[in-house]
Amino acid sequence: MATTTAAVTLTSDLLSDNMSVTASTTCMKAGTTADGLDQMEYGLVEIATGDQFDLICSTPTASKGTKLYVKNHSVDETYYVEVMIDAQDIGRLYGGDWMFIPADFHDANADIEITALTGTNKIEYALFHEGTALTAS
Amino acid sequence: MATTTATITISSTDLLTDELALSSTASLTTAGTSTGVTQASGLSRKTTSAASAAVIQASVLYRSADYTANGANKVYIKNASTTPAEFFTVQIDQEVIGRLYAGDWMFMPWIATSGTKETFVVSATGTVAAGDSWDFDGVTTVSADANLNNFAAAVNAKTYPNWTTAVSSAAVTFTARYAGAAGVVTGTTAITGDTVTDLADSNFTMPITSGAAGTRSESDITVKPSVHTEMTYECMLIHE
Repeated sequence: MATTTAAVTLTSDLLSDNMSVTASTTCMKAGTTADGLDQMEYGLVEIATGDQFDLICSTPTASKGTKLYVKNHSVDETYYVEVMIDAQDIGRLYGGDWMFIPADFHDANADIEITALTGTNKIEYALFHEGTALTAS
Repeated sequence: MATTTATITISSTDLLTDELALSSTASLTTAGTSTGVTQASGLSRKTTSAASAAVIQASVLYRSADYTANGANKVYIKNASTTPAEFFTVQIDQEVIGRLYAGDWMFMPWIATSGTKETFVVSATGTVAAGDSWDFDGVTTVSADANLNNFAAAVNAKTYPNWTTAVSSAAVTFTARYAGAAGVVTGTTAITGDTVTDLADSNFTMPITSGAAGTRSESDITVKPSVHTEMTYECMLIHE
């Protein structure tokens, strides 16, 4: 079994006391403790401003333990991409921001969509999943 | 300026032929600037449970109407349960984002697109007498004298669970605390659930004189547990 861990640390001096939140998870197949996610897609794309496209082109198996990492490598803080699932706007990833979410490809429309704004954004992404419905050639 | 950072490390020694070691640190700033975010809802922890599987309800973590839309808001959620098969289904409005299984966490930007809040104006009308009252949203206001403006001011001075208020002369403007189409008011039709007591039978009324229906928010964050037995999540919002 492959073992992939994802850890996060959030720190801030925003509050009266320093904040430090950490969490780590081993990326497992849905509902298991002994079977890690063993497939992944990894890519880096440049998206011209105004362009919108599906970041994930294949269809990973729905409602599983899929995890998606996306980072905006733009260095201009005004550059951002809008992230959507099935046309539902989730939020904006500005230059330097990253996100890590479970992804539930519950139907054919539940793609992860990206729209670049204010400039050409360079987007890195990694999808850890249990299987993909490959398109026949 | 406050400095808030989020660091992710994804690692694996056996998923690929070569070792995977991915790490990234983001300084969390307000939208389109290099200025650090200035607000956060503290880390919170909640245990959910329901009487049976049939009555499991989703919990609203964050309501869009409370936060700045189109900002650089970030949401952190962790499933603190330890039973592997248990998961929280995380949704934004009607769209499922994904399932957080035991121990899983997520960190995502949040658009916080709000709807509009219902609003209506009621005007103290007729002849009010001491002891007359108006009840709305479970709050009763009793008139201390025979002055309509004073009564409106007294109505405005109350604290309502679901509404905020403002007063101008004898007119009180009610605004829903949350965006939504609750149907309390549509246009200028009468509000439901209000009660006037006119002790002196002097035609004291509190008619609605104007109003506007609301619309639901389109990006509230909710989590729904997979089982009715106890499950625990932690969450935090860093926002503008």
